[in-house]
Formats: sequence, C-alpha cells, structure tokens
Amino acid sequence: MSRLICPFCGPRELREFEFHKTLPNAGDTPFERVYLRVDSLTHSVEHWQHIQGCRAWLHVERNPSTGAVLVMRLATAPGVA
Amino acid sequence: MNAPRQGARLSATPLRFRFDGRVYTGQVGDTAASALLAAGVRAMGRSVKCRRLRGVMTAGPEEPNALFTVGTAPAVVPNVPATQLKLTDGMVLETQNRWPTLRFDLTSVLQLGSAYFGAGFYYKTFLLPKWHFWEGMIRRLAGLGKAPGRCDLPAPSLEHSHCDVLVAGAGPAGLAAALAAARNGARVVLAEREPLVGGELEFEQAQIQGRTSAAWTAAALLELARLGARVLTDTTLVAGSTGEMVLHTEPAGMPGAARVIKLRPRALVVATGAVERMIAFVDNDRPGVFLLGAAERYWVRYGVAVARRAVLFANHDRVYVAAGRLAAAGITIAAIVDTRASGALSAEAQRVATALMAMGTECLAGSAILAAQGRVRVTGATVASLSAPGARRVIACDALLVSGGWGPAIHAALQEGGSKRYADALGAFVATDAPDWRATAGSADGAMELAGVLHSGVAAGVAAAAHAGHRGAMAATPAASGDPAPQLQPFWRSPADETEEKRQFVDPQNDVSVADLRTTLAEGFIDIEHVKRYTALGFGTDQAKFGGQLGAAIVAQLRNEPVPAVGTTKLRPPFHPVTVRSIIGHRSGARLRPARVTPLHEWHVAQGAVMEAMGLWMRPRYYRANGNNATDAGIVEAGRVRTKGGIVDGSTLGKIEVVGPDAAAFLDQLYLTKASTIKVGRSKYMVNLREDGMVLDDGIVLRLSAERFLLTVSTGHTEHMVSHFEHYRETEWASSALTLTDVTDAWAVIVVAGPECRAVLASLLGNAWAETLARLRHMDFATGQHEEHDLTVLRASFSGELAFELHCRPAIAMALWASLVGAGLAPYGLEALDILRLEKGYLVSSELNGQTTPYDLCMDGMVALGNPCVGRDLLDRPAFHEPHRPRLVGLRATDGHSPFLGGAQLTEDAVTAVPAGYVTSSAYSPALGEWIGLALVSREVAEGGVLYVRDPLRGGDTTVKVVSPVHYDPKSDRMKS
Repeated sequence: MSRLICPFCGPRELREFEFHKTLPNAGDTPFERVYLRVDSLTHSVEHWQHIQGCRAWLHVERNPSTGAVLVMRLATAPGVA
Repeated sequence: MNAPRQGARLSATPLRFRFDGRVYTGQVGDTAASALLAAGVRAMGRSVKCRRLRGVMTAGPEEPNALFTVGTAPAVVPNVPATQLKLTDGMVLETQNRWPTLRFDLTSVLQLGSAYFGAGFYYKTFLLPKWHFWEGMIRRLAGLGKAPGRCDLPAPSLEHSHCDVLVAGAGPAGLAAALAAARNGARVVLAEREPLVGGELEFEQAQIQGRTSAAWTAAALLELARLGARVLTDTTLVAGSTGEMVLHTEPAGMPGAARVIKLRPRALVVATGAVERMIAFVDNDRPGVFLLGAAERYWVRYGVAVARRAVLFANHDRVYVAAGRLAAAGITIAAIVDTRASGALSAEAQRVATALMAMGTECLAGSAILAAQGRVRVTGATVASLSAPGARRVIACDALLVSGGWGPAIHAALQEGGSKRYADALGAFVATDAPDWRATAGSADGAMELAGVLHSGVAAGVAAAAHAGHRGAMAATPAASGDPAPQLQPFWRSPADETEEKRQFVDPQNDVSVADLRTTLAEGFIDIEHVKRYTALGFGTDQAKFGGQLGAAIVAQLRNEPVPAVGTTKLRPPFHPVTVRSIIGHRSGARLRPARVTPLHEWHVAQGAVMEAMGLWMRPRYYRANGNNATDAGIVEAGRVRTKGGIVDGSTLGKIEVVGPDAAAFLDQLYLTKASTIKVGRSKYMVNLREDGMVLDDGIVLRLSAERFLLTVSTGHTEHMVSHFEHYRETEWASSALTLTDVTDAWAVIVVAGPECRAVLASLLGNAWAETLARLRHMDFATGQHEEHDLTVLRASFSGELAFELHCRPAIAMALWASLVGAGLAPYGLEALDILRLEKGYLVSSELNGQTTPYDLCMDGMVALGNPCVGRDLLDRPAFHEPHRPRLVGLRATDGHSPFLGGAQLTEDAVTAVPAGYVTSSAYSPALGEWIGLALVSREVAEGGVLYVRDPLRGGDTTVKVVSPVHYDPKSDRMKS
C-alpha cells in the first residue's frame, strides 16, 4: 500500500485518502474549466481528501506514469492565506 | 513396520493420512510428496488437457504436476502442490483431473485414439455448431481443482510491521546478508519459505570458515537471534508493492490459511535462490522424471531415495558432484548423460566421474536423453550421441534425474522498477537496474559458487543496512568452499523429429510441448506474451517457475534468435497462489460492512420490521404485521397515513450544521437558490448542483439563527455531501469563516404525518408545544425542550399530509416514539414512504440520478431566480435545452388499472422502437386506486398524450397517459391544512 504524506498527519496509507478530481488546467470559460484537462503522462494536478483522517483537502501533484507524488500540500486556493 | 526414515526435517513420530481413499503413513516433517514417494507412489495426478499420468517432479513451489485437493468436501483447498503441503495426522488428500480414478481415467481412455490436443485445439475443434454448444462439457473437463463449496478456513491474522532490512530467502546469501545488516545495527527480518533455514547448504557439503555448512548455519542463527533479528520460517514473500512487502506464513496442516504480515522495510535483499530447469525430451513428463536437485532434497530432507537405479541428464559439472552424493545414498547411477563435449569437466567433476565409472556408471559426453521409456512409470532412457542421434540405445533405470541449469528466482526483484538482463554463463535472466532500496544476492543474482554467493550476500546486507541508515564497514566475506562452478552450456531440448515434438513437454502443468510452441509461432503469435496466451505456457499454479524460461528459450531457437531477443513473460505477484481467504483476512461480514442503526432499530426489529440497507444504514422497509410482502404492507401503511396518520423513523436523514459569519454567503454559492434569504425560524427546499450543472442532491435547509444553518441531505449521500461542502470551503472559498459539522448522529428524527398528527402531538408534548404547533406554518420550525432535552419541530412534509419532523436527542427518541405509538399512530416503512412521495411527485434518487438537470426535473422556477451558484454557468449549454432532453412527468395506465414497473422503457407507440424515455418510479396508489408512476420522457412528448410501456423481460407491456407528476392533492391543501 502506497503512503501519502498528509501535511497534518504525516505518512498515512493510501486507503485513508480519496481521489476527487484532476484539476483543470486549460481554458477560462466555465465549460473549459469543468471539462478540459491537459492529460499529461508525467504531471497531474489533483485534489484529494484525507477522508479517513483529518479530512483535509489536499493539492497533489503526481507523476501518473511512476506514481511518484511530487507535491502534497493543503488545497487552499492560490492567493488565499 | 519399517524403521523410520532419517532426514534433516523428519521426526520419528509417525502420522497417518488418506490419499485417494487409501491410508498411508508418513512422519512428522514430511511433505505429501515425500511421504508418498517413500511409500512408493509415483502417479500423483493427470495433466489438465492430455490427461497424461504424472508424478511429482520437483521439491518446491515450482511443482507442475502433483497438485492435490486437501480436506473433505465442501471445505476443501484445491491445487495445493504436494511439495509444499506439510502433512499433519489425519489429513485427507485427493488427486485432481481424473475420473473416476487416477489409474483409470475415462477421459484419457476416450482420447487415446482422438486427435492430438495442440495449441488452440479447443478453439479450432469446437467451432461447429458453435462454441457454446460444447462449452459446458469442456468447462467440466478443464481447469485444475474444483473451487470449494464453502470456506471454512479460519480468518487469518494480519500483522502490520516495520523493519530496516527484509531479507527474503535464508540460504547462504540470505543468511550472510542478514548477518551483515544486523551487525551494522539494522533491524532485520529474515523470511524463509521452507521450514528450515539453510537453502542449498542443506545438501551442498560445504566448508565455511573452517566449519561444516550445518555448523555455520546454526552459528548464524544464534548470532541473528542475539542481534535481535526476526527469523520467520514457512514464510514466503508473495508480493510487494509501493514499499510494502506481503509475507505469507502457512502453518502445517492448514494450506490456504496463511498468516499475513504486511511489512514495510526500509530496504529489501532478494536472496530467493534459483529454480532448476527441465530439458525437453520425448515423454519427459512420465512419473519417474525428476529434477536432479529434487532427488537430492528428498534424500537429505526426508530420507527418501527417489530411485534405485537412475540415469542423470545435465549440461553442467554439478551433475557429477550430485551423482557422487546420490551414489553415497545408495542410488545406483546407471549413467550420466552430459550434453557437453568430452573434455569439458573440471578436475573436481572429473574426479567424481572417475570414481563413479569404477562403480559401473557410464559417463556419456556430448550425448542426450532422447526419450523416457515406460508409460506408467519410467523404465529406461533412450540415449544417443548428439553427433549421431540416429544411433539410439536404451539404458534401463527407474528414474531420470534432469538438470538443465538454474533460473534465478527474480520475481521479487522485478516488482516496482528494475529490469532483467540475460547472463550467458547461466543461460538465464538476472535482475538489474534495481532501485537503491533493493539488492539481489546469491544465486538469485546469478552467483553459483558458494564463495561468490556469500560475498554477494554480505555486500547486499551492508548496502541495505546503509540505505536504512545503518552505515558500517564492509564485513569480510567468510572463506568458503563448496560445489564447483557449474560450467554450464545452455541446452534446451534434445533432438526429435516433428511428430515426437508433441511429447517434448516444456510446461507440463499446461501440457505445452515443443510442437505447441512451433504451431503457435507458425500461426503468427511471435511475441512471448502472445505465445503465453495462445498456449497457456506459464499460467497455472507454478506461474512459469517450472517451464517459463525453458519455453522462452525454445521459442528463441525456433525463431533463430538469441534468448534475450525473446525475453520472458512478465513475472507478476503473487509468487505462489494464495487463497482469496488470506487476501480477505478479517475483512468479511460485519468487519467489512458494519451496519449503522438508528436509536429505534431494536424496536423496529422487535416489531417485525423487514430491514433494508441504504449505504451502511439499516431502515425498516415494512412491518410484517401489515402484510406478507412489501407491496401489500406498503399499501396498508400508506393508506393509513392518509386516513389517520403514522410515524416513520427518519433518523438516517443526513444533517450538517454550517455555522459562521460567512455561512449564508457560502451556502448561496452551493445551492441553486439562496440560503441567505431564508428567515430565522424558516426553512426551504433546496437543491445542489454539481459543477457540470447536474442535480447533485436535495434537502431542506433550516436557518437556526443568522449565522447558523442546518442542512438535511439524502441518507445515502451524507458522507459525499459533507466532503462536497468541505471541498468548496477549503478551495474556492477558503477564506470563508464557517465550520461544517456532520450532526447526523446527534439527532434522531421522528416524522409524524397525517390528519390526526397535530392533535396527537399537542397532547403528548404539552400545552406550550401545542400552541407552537398551532402557530407553525408550512416550512416553519421551532426549537425548544422536551423532558429537559433539545427538540426541534419542523413542519415539513414528504408525504403530502400535514406533517411534523421531530428532531430529538437520541436519548429520548425511543420514549417519544413509544408514546406516539401508544397514542395510536402506527409506524410505516420505506415502502409506504415511497408510495406517499410518489403520489405527490416528490423526488428520490431514481429521479435525482446524476444525469438530470434542474430543467429536466421541472425546477425551472428555481433556475430563474438567477442565483450564480456552482454549476449554474453550465446550465446554459445548448444541449440542455434540446428537444430530446428528458422532462419529469407523471404516468397513469390508460385503462385505469394495469401495473407498470420502474425501469421499463417508453416508446411513442407499440410499433416504433424509438425510445421516448423510461419509468423512474412506480407504485400502486391506495389513495387513487390505480398504478401511478414518474418518468423521464423526451420533451417532445412531455406535454401529454399516450406512451407505450415496454417491459420485455418482466412482461406487462401496457399503454400509459402522460400526466402531471403531482398525482394527489395537486394544490397541497392537505399539507397546508
């Protein structure tokens, strides 16, 4: 079982987390924001929740071809303290 | 009674077991294979396709033939290799793939004159009249053991633990690695598949640091214990992924009931040894053909001589030292057939050969066994010089001991990164490009001489400890001398003409022969993975351990390409078969799926409620006193609510409190209509949209105070909705000052509905509440106390009747419920609830199915208010306004009485097949005396008219007329009374 490092709880098993969605990274119209993704083989920006832990929403950047987690931090929107 | 056998693993204690109905004796420590061989049993199974009689060939998990069903039906474990099955007293074993008996298998008799079962035989032969005509019969014959009828295995324990270094395999390399790592301070776990550590040292008569291998092994174990290392025997590393290694410990007598250890080591040393290979020659699958190493193991471990007079067949020097040891064990070595030209022998091998020749052993260089003689068991070997294969002769013997070299067991080393490289000297693949947390040592890494094996073990142990943070000096490698270098020359198959190739077996478990490989290539399946799928090479319980490398090498020969150009099939976990039971572990029944129950649950059950699961929640569907089935009882219960009144347990309703200065603004963003306009003490029916505009959920929102809201959400949706709200709070509107709390369990909900409900409640709750109840308008609520506990009374209705929701603390729920029952209000269940809501056209998940927009559900009025919420933008998409979009309508049978069921398709008439929509819900309405329904139909037909209900599977085609979704009391006079 993979482990993810929750900013609050530390390394926890993958099963405690729930994938929510891949974040849109193309376009500005409402339609584009909901539906368009740049489907990268090596870099995916996602929202996850530590659903069976502290329930924090997490901003995760992963390499989908290796499973490596590149960034894992709280999902607080950019520009918000 | 014979004297007990002496063997490294045996105690003298006898045990009895039953094999195909006969009682045999063995000794404690025996495997099924060793005890049966000792009893003179050679035939231990039939092959799956050709039904050829087969015996045990190996002494390890690579065993292709001797697979038994253990236990008595229905509680059996099938496909257990006899070589891995540790006997216990009273064990019951059955052979597989034979009917009625092993010796007389009718299927094999029938096939004596039939066509040869080659690759793709079934697909090609059973084309007419069609495959399905034959399938049932073929399926009965196909496959290995039968799955058990029920699972009586105990729930295996599951351990999660951690260590610095896991060493898989406790042969010389594994022991050296574990010692080196532990000496440098690492916490070590050493896992060994066999019941004893030592690996090859068990029979390789070696000297290590001036001691015998047995003495060195014992000293190593003592030192490991002193250093705190954990040594696990009978424990196999079956899988590993993302840093977690899955170890299975199988106690004697309980095949399939493994204890599972999920171990998270910082570093892994793979010292899993090497698996000996067969050579393909004609009838090399007969009982009495063994791998050479298996013969040595059966003697050393269990005191079983597998032959009286053996012919050995190999392509390396080790066969001579093995022959010397087997001769010392009393086995007559009739001949050693060496595929290499004369003059290839090392001095050590030559010395043994000379000694054996003096005892009458023939040493044939540059020669090969072309065929085994004997049908039921081996009676001789047909041998010939490779330079003149026509000049054949037969050497009499009762066993053929074959060794075509060794393939490193690199399964564990190829998980999670890393690749494999072909080592010419071995004629085999070794692991390479390992990630830094993993090292491979010993013969698993291609080292074949003891000194090199120990050296690679020490190096891997030191490196693994260092990776785990325990840096230390590279320890000296123990001086050692053991068996000579193999000097192997790859040799895969003996010469044979094309008709004989059918009996040159490569993977006996799947009856794959050289001829099958040739056919497969001729038919265009070139890639080794395609060859595998077309022939089944490498499928089955041994997962290519026995025949994978041999098959791939012969494919390379047939393709005239080097072996690395062909490669091997991908090695996937698990290393050996594991039962589903051991994967499930304790996660079954209530431990897998706990039930959530309301404070009134026990009352419902005691009153004969039939409970129904919604998610994890258990809810009463109907009460048996009201009818024998849900339909009948539902009609009685619903009818009673309309005439008099009733109560229903609504505690499972999801409840979320949103509190804070920004609560109202936040909810405005997440609901289609505004929450901020709700006055304190009022509530509103609201819906949420997904960001794509589809309706996500609905519910009533109560404004408890200016900054405090209580949201109700659907029972099955609560967890999802909490996450949904949390997501927006922590992303889009992260600066909002508010808290979200799931208060579902904090409030029990009793819904009191029906014309008499206000009077009953008023008398039960007392004067103060009576005045409140009289004052409450539809969608008003009041908070207060009842018997010193908080109580909220919301006047809202999901039945169309005057109704009050009592949100009370769980502590008083039962008392309140009991007094309502005492006052004459009967409980109703989900079935009645569904009838009542359907009569009023209220929506449930059948309509809020994630594919419907607010327009589809006739919520145009809510959209028109123009609240810019999540999902609002995408409602403007043109596709949502096209004429084929669905629209919610009501349905009634045109004849006034015919039933129709939810899920049925609708068309415009009985002739056309063009779909017009489907029935989402339907029920018999006691209030209207006929079947009513809700449907989603194309807008073009939603205005009215007649549709045709098609229900071909359940029957009941009928015609219906399109009506308003509100079937009953369209002006809601009753609800607002």
